Amino acid sequence: MSAIAEPRVTAPERHDILSWITTTDHKRIGVLYMATTLMFMAVAGLLAVAIRTQLARPGSELISPHGYNQIFTLHGTAMIFLVIAPFALGLANYLVPLQVGAPDMAFPRLNATSYWMFLFGGLTVFAGAASNEGAASAGWTSYAPLSEITISTGLGQDFWIVGLAMVSVASIMTAVNFVTTTFIHRAPGMTMWRIPIFTWEMVATSLLIFMAFPSLTATLLLLFVDRRLGGHVFDPSFGGSPILYQHLFWFFGHPEVYVLILPYFGVVSEVISTFSGRPLFGYTGMVLAAFAIAGLSMGVWAHHMFTTGAVNNPFFAFVSFLIAVPTGIKFFNWICTMWGGSIRYTAAMLYAVGFLMNFLLGGVTGVMVASPPLDFQAQDSYFVVAHFHYTIGGGSMFALFAAIYYWWPKIYGWRLDERLGKINFWLTFVGFNVTFLPMFFMGVFGMPRRIYTYSGEGALPLLNLVATAGAYLMLLAAVVFVANIVISARRRDPAGDNPWHGYTLEWATSSPPPEHNFHRLPPIRSARPLFNIEHPEADQS
Amino acid sequence: MHAQSWPAVGSAQAASLADDWRIFTYAAIAVAVLVWGLILFAAVRFRRTRDNPAPRSQKDQNAPLEIAWTIGPLILVIALFVVTLRIENTVEARTAAPAARITVNAYRWGWTFSYRDGPTIDGTSNDPPEMVLPVGETTAFRVTSSDVVHSFWIPDMLFKRDAVPGRVSEFDLTPTKEGTFLGRCGEFCGLNHALMTFRVRVVSPPGYQRWLKYEAAQ
Repeated sequence: MSAIAEPRVTAPERHDILSWITTTDHKRIGVLYMATTLMFMAVAGLLAVAIRTQLARPGSELISPHGYNQIFTLHGTAMIFLVIAPFALGLANYLVPLQVGAPDMAFPRLNATSYWMFLFGGLTVFAGAASNEGAASAGWTSYAPLSEITISTGLGQDFWIVGLAMVSVASIMTAVNFVTTTFIHRAPGMTMWRIPIFTWEMVATSLLIFMAFPSLTATLLLLFVDRRLGGHVFDPSFGGSPILYQHLFWFFGHPEVYVLILPYFGVVSEVISTFSGRPLFGYTGMVLAAFAIAGLSMGVWAHHMFTTGAVNNPFFAFVSFLIAVPTGIKFFNWICTMWGGSIRYTAAMLYAVGFLMNFLLGGVTGVMVASPPLDFQAQDSYFVVAHFHYTIGGGSMFALFAAIYYWWPKIYGWRLDERLGKINFWLTFVGFNVTFLPMFFMGVFGMPRRIYTYSGEGALPLLNLVATAGAYLMLLAAVVFVANIVISARRRDPAGDNPWHGYTLEWATSSPPPEHNFHRLPPIRSARPLFNIEHPEADQS
Repeated sequence: MHAQSWPAVGSAQAASLADDWRIFTYAAIAVAVLVWGLILFAAVRFRRTRDNPAPRSQKDQNAPLEIAWTIGPLILVIALFVVTLRIENTVEARTAAPAARITVNAYRWGWTFSYRDGPTIDGTSNDPPEMVLPVGETTAFRVTSSDVVHSFWIPDMLFKRDAVPGRVSEFDLTPTKEGTFLGRCGEFCGLNHALMTFRVRVVSPPGYQRWLKYEAAQ
């Protein structure tokens, strides 16, 4: 691709701290986002190891009940709000302008504001741990009245509310930026039906953020009013309603889980297409499926409330079942993308296939828990814990690592070590399944989530011990990952502009790209402009 | 006491619930095995080798196939919805003349079981209460809470119902197996959530009558 991205002498880039604090460059903001989320991930991951250590044996007294409640609250809150979702926002910050051939995001200063609000929001949530009664301890859902001032008396809950409100507003501002950038800053020739799939998934994600996050902000605000300003919105003794809290929370909360997965559908689509050497199969269907999932996900929130006896279970069950259809479309398209290809097994591709294997189990168990009668047992049990870890952990997190291995050379100009990357993958894959597969059985056997201890009867002690062993395997995998970065950073194995033979626009510029992304853009005649250059004979326009 | 292993499926409603579990589990396994098989086949068959150095085709659509994999799963989920609807209606059917009526009040961290025209049983996490039910007869429950949201869960009957403050939720259970089963709180409620258990002792109808008399004499 040297004909497209001529190496050119540009002003030396500044890399002092001030330049990072004041930057409005989407690439640097993207890197800041991703680095921050990986830091939060390290903390949240260690909290998970603490959880598994406590539960390794029945009756363990390693961690106090209050300490345990803080730990799982912070683990869940961090992984959902501060890791999986914002990593995707960071990745998209880096990639969306590159993929559509724009010099930057539509609103660069708004973009910087979003990042800094996100960072300080996240730090605020964690800062609660330093308050007199410790961090928030009512779970990541913080159901009222448990989270009300009468029960959760500590400041930690307020830190949690204020921090997440900042993260929520920051997400909405970023979503505005993505949609505007994609809709009006595309390069000439980049029609809507030529937008790369990752960017399409980010458009769908952004629309979900528009619809869902205002409900989160409102819920947090109402909870704060209840706690500190004498409101009684969720207090039944004054006519308030705990059920209302659940409606408002899940009206945000279920679309949120698709905010956590749609970007990673995009990642996996890009990675599978590149390493199979084939175009994404069913591109149009994939885009429509993303919007079908986004639309349907707005109408399923009360499937989190099947056991309240206060919602129309059949309606929410049916809409939840329907989501299996567009999700199935995605699976079949991924398989057909590999079909007839010549697949190169890099670390990124291994993670993408790992995603397919794990997420499938998350998907089919998702259809199971969408059946209200089944949910009467599964709800709030370890079955649900297993299910959502297969989607967010085995799914999103695997794709997150695929993204790191795939786009790292573009961001830094050198690649991560492939052999360590593969070891990293296999340890994560085995560790993940050893941890979470037993949890389906724990749930069926009657183990509720969010308990710091259990008795020694029946099969629970053995299942828990196995799960803990798996968690330590994943910890080892994380060590290998960090070692990979350190070792590869010393070696700096040059990657070139297009190390994987990708066909989307980000591979048409240098690695790392210049400040304004492209010195010259290639002609754009399809969703894979670089393929058209390589194969002029196949150019159909 | 039976606890923390394969559920005993100890009620008439649980028999229907177990059917739901079975149908959905089989369907899930069937779909998963099919799709896993396709993924692994494609992943192995089309890996880059000396015999497969380059992609064979750049074909990226197939309308009949795409329509098929949209319609197929749609039919499957509609069928599953019909199953789920029937089972939920069976499970939630109410009887007009229950043999016993119990109001359950959950609180941090214990339970009060108030039998209509009978005893009131109370116990906290330190000394969990025991509920006695007649086998083969239907008991009507009213569940509520006096502080935060809890959930009344009997894993061996595959059933739970949230105890929400300010709200009463009603359902029936018809135990079919005698024995003692573990019950517990299913919704996170703070410090002693893990210890908020109770026991359900299912006895013969004459045994139940004897227990009522014994409690009345206390």
